[in-house]
Formats: sequence, C-alpha cells, structure tokens
Amino acid sequence: MSLSLTRRVLKGALGPPANDSRFLLDPHRRDLPGEDTMARYPDSEEVDLCVVGAGAGGSVLAQRLARQGWKVVVLEAGPFWHPDEDWVSDEAGSHHLYWTQKRIIGGADPIEMGKNNSGRGVGGSMVHYAGYCPRFHPSDFATRTLDGVGADWPLSYDELRPHYELVERELPVAGQDWPWPEPHSYPYSPHPVSQAASVLWQGALKLGIQMRVGPVGITNGVFGNRPHCIYRGYCLQGCKVNAKASPYVTHLPDALAHGVEVRAGCMASRVELDESGRARGVVYLREDDPATPRLQRAKVVAVACYSIETPRLLLNSASPSFPNGLCNNEDQVGRYVMVQGASQTAGRFPEELRMYKAPPPEISSEDFYETDESRGFARGFSIQTVSPLPIGWAEHVLADGHWGRALREYMRDYNHWTTVGVLNELLPLPENRVTLAEEKDQYGLPVARFDYSQCDNDRANIEYSTRVITDILQAAGAQDILTIHRYAHLIGGARMGTSPDNSVVDAHQRTWAVPNLYLADGSVCPTQGSANPALTIMALASRLAEHLGGRRPG
Amino acid sequence: MAGFLRRARGAAGKAVDLSSGHHLPNLRPGKQPPDPSWLPRQRRGTTPQMVGRYPDYDVFDARDTWDEATTRVVEERMAVESGGPLSFFREDEAATLRAFCDTCTAQDSDPRVPVAELVDQKLAKGQLDGYQYYDMPDDRDTWHLVLAGLDEVARSRYGKEGFGALDAEAREALVGQLAAGALSSASLDRLNVKRAWSVCMRMILSAFYSHPFAWNEIGFGGPAYPRGYMRLGPVSTREPFERPGATSEDPVRVAPELEG
Repeated sequence: MSLSLTRRVLKGALGPPANDSRFLLDPHRRDLPGEDTMARYPDSEEVDLCVVGAGAGGSVLAQRLARQGWKVVVLEAGPFWHPDEDWVSDEAGSHHLYWTQKRIIGGADPIEMGKNNSGRGVGGSMVHYAGYCPRFHPSDFATRTLDGVGADWPLSYDELRPHYELVERELPVAGQDWPWPEPHSYPYSPHPVSQAASVLWQGALKLGIQMRVGPVGITNGVFGNRPHCIYRGYCLQGCKVNAKASPYVTHLPDALAHGVEVRAGCMASRVELDESGRARGVVYLREDDPATPRLQRAKVVAVACYSIETPRLLLNSASPSFPNGLCNNEDQVGRYVMVQGASQTAGRFPEELRMYKAPPPEISSEDFYETDESRGFARGFSIQTVSPLPIGWAEHVLADGHWGRALREYMRDYNHWTTVGVLNELLPLPENRVTLAEEKDQYGLPVARFDYSQCDNDRANIEYSTRVITDILQAAGAQDILTIHRYAHLIGGARMGTSPDNSVVDAHQRTWAVPNLYLADGSVCPTQGSANPALTIMALASRLAEHLGGRRPG
Repeated sequence: MAGFLRRARGAAGKAVDLSSGHHLPNLRPGKQPPDPSWLPRQRRGTTPQMVGRYPDYDVFDARDTWDEATTRVVEERMAVESGGPLSFFREDEAATLRAFCDTCTAQDSDPRVPVAELVDQKLAKGQLDGYQYYDMPDDRDTWHLVLAGLDEVARSRYGKEGFGALDAEAREALVGQLAAGALSSASLDRLNVKRAWSVCMRMILSAFYSHPFAWNEIGFGGPAYPRGYMRLGPVSTREPFERPGATSEDPVRVAPELEG
C-alpha cells in the first residue's frame, strides 16, 4: 500500500514525524508544558536564531530549527498565556487576545484592526482565528502571468506542497476529500455538520455550487493528548479545549522541549546591525521594565510579526545606512498590504437553527476561486459558513442599518438565523501600505499607520460575491436577509520577489539588504488568493526552516 | 392581582406566528418592529425589560457547567449595577450618557442591562479596539464629543437643558440622525459623525450582548466550557437545559393586523 493510501485509510492514526507537541500537552490542563523548565539565554549570549513574534510563522520556524540543534530565542510582545485562567468562554471577555494597541487607519476604505485580524500573545492570532485551513491554489503563485493582475511569486505551489501536507498533519486538518485546487485528502475525517450550515449547503446545492465540509484545523477525534472538539462555538475566543490548532498547541510544546526560549512581554524596538551590515540582534523592551533597552544577540534574525508590525519594526529600525527604515532603501517596505473582503450574509428560517453550536467554520466552497472572465473581474473568492456569537451578530444587524427597537427585534430572533460569508481575493496595490504615524505607543515607539483603498476589480469582486451568497440564502428559502460588508485577514507588506526593486525578500525570505535577516510570516506573500492565510504562513515557515538547515519533510 | 394577571398574559391577542417572520423589521412597513408588548413576559430568568422570546429559559440554570475563569468574568459583569457610579464620564455627562445608551438599545424600563456603566468601565480601563481613523480623535474623546453634541442639539432644537431631558420620540429622532451621519453641532462637527456612531455602537452593543440578561432574551446558550454542545441537529438543535422559543399568543387570536 502506498504511503498516501495508508494515510487515507488510517486517517488520524498516523501522526506527523518530528513533532511531539500532541503528546507533550497535558490531557487535563491547558498550560503550555515546559514553561517552567524552558531554556533561558542571557542577552549577552549570541544565540543561533532570534525570532520576533510567537505566532504561526515564528513558532514553526523555531520548532523546526530547535530540532536541528539551533539555540533559539523567540521574543513576543504579548503575554505567555495560561488558558485555564486567561481564556474564557465569553465574547467580551476575550478582548485581551487581540492586538489592541493603537494603529491609525486611513485611505478610502480604512481597515478596522484588532479582533478580526491581529493577535497578541504566545500563539499569535491563530489563538483566535476561526480554524479554516485551505491551501492556496497554484494560480495564486502566478496571477501576473495568468491573469495580468497582482504579482508572480518567485516560487511555485509545487515547492510548497510537501510543506502543506506536513503542516496539515501537524495541526491536524479535518475535512472531506478536497477537490480544490488539486484533489487531496485530509488527515482527519470531516466534522459533523450543524443544522445552521446544512441549511446553507442545501441552498448551494440547488444552485449547483459545490461545498465540502472543512477544511478546519480542529481535531475530530483525539490527537495525542488533544481531545475531541466539544462544539461549543467559541473558536474565535481562544480554544480552551485544545481541539483547535494554534502554534500554542501544535508547535510550541515541541519547541520548548527542544530548547527554545519564548520570552513573552518583550516588545522588539529595532533590529540592530553591526559595522559589516549584518544583523547583530534585536533590541527589545520588557513590559515590566520598559525604560531599559536590551539587546538579544543572534547569528540569524527572523522577523515574524505579521503584515502591520513587521513593516513597523523595519521602519522603526532606521540607521545611517537605511535612513528610511531597515531594508527600505528601495521604498518597498510596508507596500502591497492586502486584506480579504469578508462580506457576510445572514438568512432567517422558520425553525430554530441555534448557529452558536459547532465550530463557526463548517463548510466551504472554492468553486469561484479562479478567474472567470464572464464575471467581469480578475481572480475570485471562496465561500465559507460562519456563525457569529451574539456580539458579532449585533454588529451584523447594525451594519444592515438597525438600532434600538429594530435591533432588539432582530437580536431576539438570533436562533433562527444562519450566516454565510465570502473571502474575496483583493489585489495587491503599492499604495496600500504601512507607514509610521506621529503617535507613540506605551514604549514610546511610533505606531503603524495603515492606508487602504479598494480598486475597481476589488469592488466588482465584492459585489458579485455578495450576490452569490444572497442567492444561496434565497435558494435555501430564507425569509429575510441581512448583509454586512467587512474585511478579514492580513497579508503582504514586505513581499518576496525577484529583485530588490520589486520586493523586500528573496524566494527564501531573506531580506535583500541584510544577509542574515529573514522575514518568516505572512508579510512576504505577494498575493493572497481567497484562502485563509494561516496554513500557508506555517507552510512557508516550514519551507524556510528546511532551507536554513531543517530536514526534508515527508 | 388583576394588574399582575394582565402583565403576565402580556399582549394576549397581539401575538404573531413566529415561524412566519412577520415580526422582522425589514418585512414590515417602515421597517419598524412591532411594539414589544407582543412578547411574552419572562417567567424564569431576568431579561432586559422582562421581555424575551424564551420565557422559561435562564442561562444561569447551566451555571454549574461553566469553568471558573468564565464564571468569574460573568459574575463581575453581573455585579455592575444600572445607575451605579461612573468613573470615566463626568457627572454632568451621566444623564446624557444613560439616555443615549437607553435609546440605542431600546431600554425604557428596569430591569436594564447596565450599558452606560459597562461602557464607562471599559473606557476607564482604556480597553479600546486597536484602531483609530486618521480623521477621528481617540475613542475616549469621541465619546465626550458625541455626548456634548447631543446636548447641544437638544438645547438648540428643543430648548431643553440636555439630551436626557428629551422625550423618547425626540431622542429616537436625534439618534436616527446621528446614525445617518446627519446631525450637526459645534462638537459633532469636529467628528466624522458616521464613524463616531460606529465607535459608540461598537461599545454599546458589546456591553449589551455580553450580559446574561440579554442572553436570556435571545435564547443564547451562554458559556459552554467544559460542557460543550451535543445537539447540532438535524433531529434537534436544543440541549436538555435549553428551552424552546415561545410567544404569549392565544392560538385562537393570532393577530392578522401584525401580518398585514
């Protein structure tokens, strides 16, 4: 039997190689095991790698290289979570999971930041992502060539595929056999489908739209010491069950067991260079002693702070040889930041659906992912079910123009509604960029300003896709429909490319300007597809680790 | 006793068939909801104004299945009293703040969700949302300016000393204009009014629907760890501790006037 067939038959019984996180976790407690016994490196010691940001990219890179014997320190601005005490089964009480430090937003279509797209703390924003883990499509890596928009990547889908497969086994991803972009299966079987999602699925089928269950990074069955999902619906508030994947449970336990130090409450303020132009290390400020800058020395530095904070750190690291910010002599840092359109439409049905049960991510479709010229715009969108909890539902109702008595009436009707959303591939534009604002944060560092404006193709995509999900609801028999236009996810901001005048990093995520400085997060992506970015960010970090000295995955 | 009975029966004869959806504002003339008197009085848990759709449901019935950390957060919220002390807002802002929060959430009597007090607490702690529009001040300043603006309009247009002194109809009219970005005054002209509305409503809605009273009103299952949910459908979507939605309708007298 071939390996892939064995995997198909045995499903989750075959774990990933070279990652013991699932066994290191405690079945009854949620703390990241090994915090008390983890390695501690003095600032003065030159470690092999200093990573900034303990999220999807930074954690995978640290875990991989620690297994190769590298000495690794990860600096994280936010707290070291103790989920049993710190995370709650409550919407408003989960405010502290988000990056709520101030950012200035501008442009014609300003992007609201925080709970929807930015995490803070060990585990990063995957702590509060919904859990969808689709792959990018091969076309995403060559949109300029294929569709005349966006950019081509300096690498192909084929180069990332082995890492997709590996990370899917590490999370692990649960879902039906997947027809997009190339047929592949997932290590865990699909979750049961909630009534709220079933109704939507029936509507889609009537229109001939294919949907599938998943793909979600949520255990369906036990996975080592990680229990089965309990379908409580609070994926976006941090999984207290350890069922949903985030680096906190998928990579950091193994990383700590292999000598990684995660130094939380440490805000990186600049990447410091030596006289030869190489990175000497990272200057950071401790939350409990913000007046004392410290320098963690390192042979290699990897910045993994995501699309807003990575450019901000580079811009804040200006020096005489880089007067406009580190790696920014070609004026590329902070440009081409992308978000995905994430309009949602809710439909009302006679029976009680109680959409707060089961994971908010349930079923999805990539039928509209690729360019179809008859639609009148380039590239496409995906369709995904979502399930807002009451505060999210209230924002949805408000967005449709209701407040006061009308809002209360719709809110009381909550249990009769189901919600479906889209992810539009909005195009990378150079003017959509991160710069430094005049305002300073608690450490005295200039905060980021993020300007964003849609282009005509974006508007056409959003309008078309909203029509499709409205049609799905109508086909399903919805009695009333409420729509909210919003955005989700971040990507780009320090993209990879073929030369310094069109990018910040090369195909191996090494900055063109500093030979031992890498970017290890979603900021390097030149395009975003209509896929949720978490899996791709982890796969890219896995590939980077392989390049830097990791073993060939397999 | 007669009064009590009348209250308990609520709006007998004024009810609608829930499955039809004819109570939904978008499906009604003027997009206005029916008067809440069509709703049943709450029999078990507490809801805002004691109206709701799940008269025999109390989210606290499942409290023994909540984890400690979540219970602590919910209990702290329950300890905040409507009409209680304010620390972020000034005393001279209190009446306007409370009237504004009441109008935005249609709370016209006790028991109330302490929206003003919860908003005050959040602003006092500096718990903001992580962004600020380039053409707007800090959220905290926005709140002061919005309240001042409502008072200014109440004075100039109605000759009252403040927004809190207006009757319900006038308050709703002003808030409707604020929502549409169509309200103007010295303080409001310093803001992008539509964005100011969104800043305030984000906090108001987060406060209202974080409260167990509101969960009872809408039949939301509430905190769910470590218990989780088992009834995902299709046979049933209701857990043993959850209660079906109900109205106080007399089945013989389902009111055709609400459907027309």
